[in-house]
Amino acid sequence: MTQIWEVFRQEEKGGYHTHCGNVHAPDREMAKQFAAVQHGRRKPTNSIWVVPKDEVGEIDGDDVSFGGTTDKGYRWTTAYNLQTRQAEEVEESDAEQQDAEQRRGEA
Amino acid sequence: MDIETVKERAGPREFNPADDLPEEYRKAATRMIEFHANSEIMGAYLERPFIRQAPSIDRKLAFSAKVQDEIGHGQLLYRAAETLGIKTREEMLDDLANGDGKFLNCFHYPMDSWEETPMIAFFVDGAAMRRQATLRRTSWEPYAHAMDKVCFEEGFHVKHGEDILATLMSGSRAEQRRTQEAFEEWWPRIIQFFGPTDDKSTHHDFAADVGLKQMTNDELRQAFLDMYVPKARNYGLELPDYPRVHQNDDGRWVVEEDDLDWDEFFTVARNNYEPGIGQIDGRARAQEAVEWVRDAIESDATPQSGKAPQAAD
Ligand SMILES: [Fe+2]
Ligand SMILES: [Fe+2]
Repeated sequence: MTQIWEVFRQEEKGGYHTHCGNVHAPDREMAKQFAAVQHGRRKPTNSIWVVPKDEVGEIDGDDVSFGGTTDKGYRWTTAYNLQTRQAEEVEESDAEQQDAEQRRGEA
Repeated sequence: MDIETVKERAGPREFNPADDLPEEYRKAATRMIEFHANSEIMGAYLERPFIRQAPSIDRKLAFSAKVQDEIGHGQLLYRAAETLGIKTREEMLDDLANGDGKFLNCFHYPMDSWEETPMIAFFVDGAAMRRQATLRRTSWEPYAHAMDKVCFEEGFHVKHGEDILATLMSGSRAEQRRTQEAFEEWWPRIIQFFGPTDDKSTHHDFAADVGLKQMTNDELRQAFLDMYVPKARNYGLELPDYPRVHQNDDGRWVVEEDDLDWDEFFTVARNNYEPGIGQIDGRARAQEAVEWVRDAIESDATPQSGKAPQAAD
C-alpha cells in the first residue's frame, strides 16, 4: 500500500536538511529513489531524508501562540544599547537576531 | 573509516551520524561535547539564584530567560553527544550527578553577590562565545548545528552581562568597590577558562587533527584578552597585580602563566575542589527532587482528555 513520504533535502555537506516536498511510495527504499529523482536532480543536493508522513507531528498558530503573547524584548540583543565595540561573534549574533526580529515583524 | 582517513578528511561539518567513524574519534568528540553540555547545566545552576536576587524586574526577566537558554544549550549538546553512540544522555546526566562528569573550572566556584554576576554573564559568557563561534566549524556536524543555535542566542547573554557591568560601574562608590573586588577574585579563574597553554594541554593534538577543535587554547585566550581587557578597563576596572598582565608593542595582551594557581585549576578540573563538590551535589539533589516529573511524563497515566497544557513561551 503506498503512502506519502515527506522529503528533506540538504544542499551541501554540513548544511541543514530542509523540507522540499513529498512523494508517493510503497516503502522506504522506493521513497528514497523517487525522492532522489524528483527532488535531487535539478537543485544542488548532498543528501536526502525521507520520513513517513504519519510520523510527522505538527503544531500551528491555531494551537499555540508562537513567540508567546507577552513582550520579551529583554531576550534580544537589540534591547541593550551599549555604544561599545563588540567582539566579532557578538556582532554576528546581533545581526542574526535583528534579521529574525525583522522577519517576525513582517510575518 | 580508519583514523588516517578521518584525519585526511577532517574539515568543517565533515562527519555526521551516517558515517562509520572509529571509536577514537567518537570518544574524543563525546568527551568534548559532554564537557560542554555539563558546563551549560552547571552554569545555569550557578546563576539560577540570581533570578530571585535580581535588583529590578527587567534584570529578573532577563536572568530567567538566560538561565532557561543555558539549560536548553545543555539539552542540545547532550543530543549532539548522544548521536556518537558512546554514552546515552541518561549516563551523562548520572555521571554529572555522581561527580564523574567534568565541567568548566569557573562553575565550581560559588557566587554570592549581585556584583559577581557580570563576571560570569559578561566575561565567562564572552569567553565561551569566542570558543563557540569557532566550533561552528567543528568536524562533527550535529555539534556544529548545535553551535549555530547557541551562538544565535548567546549574543543576548554577553550584551546583557555587559549592561549589568556598565550599570554597576556607574553606580554608587560602594557598588563600584564591590564590583572591583569581585573582578579581582574572578579574573584569574576567567583567564584559566582557556586552560593551560598548548604545550601543557593533553587533549588538544588529537582533537585538532580530526577537526573537532578549530582553534588552539592559546589563540582563543589571545583573542579574548585583546577584546575584553580593554573593555574591563574602559568600565574602570583595574587588573589585579597577579597574574601579571602586560601589553606588547603590537598591542596584544600577555599573561604570566606561572602566576596562576594551576594546582587549584587541576584540583577543580578533577572535581576535587570542596566548594565545587557542593555545586555538583546541589544539582544532583535538584535532579532527584524532580524525579516525579520525569516519572509522570514517562508513565502511561497522562490524562487523555481536557485541554492540552500551554507550553511555556
Ligand atoms: Fe550557553
Ligand atoms: Fe550563555
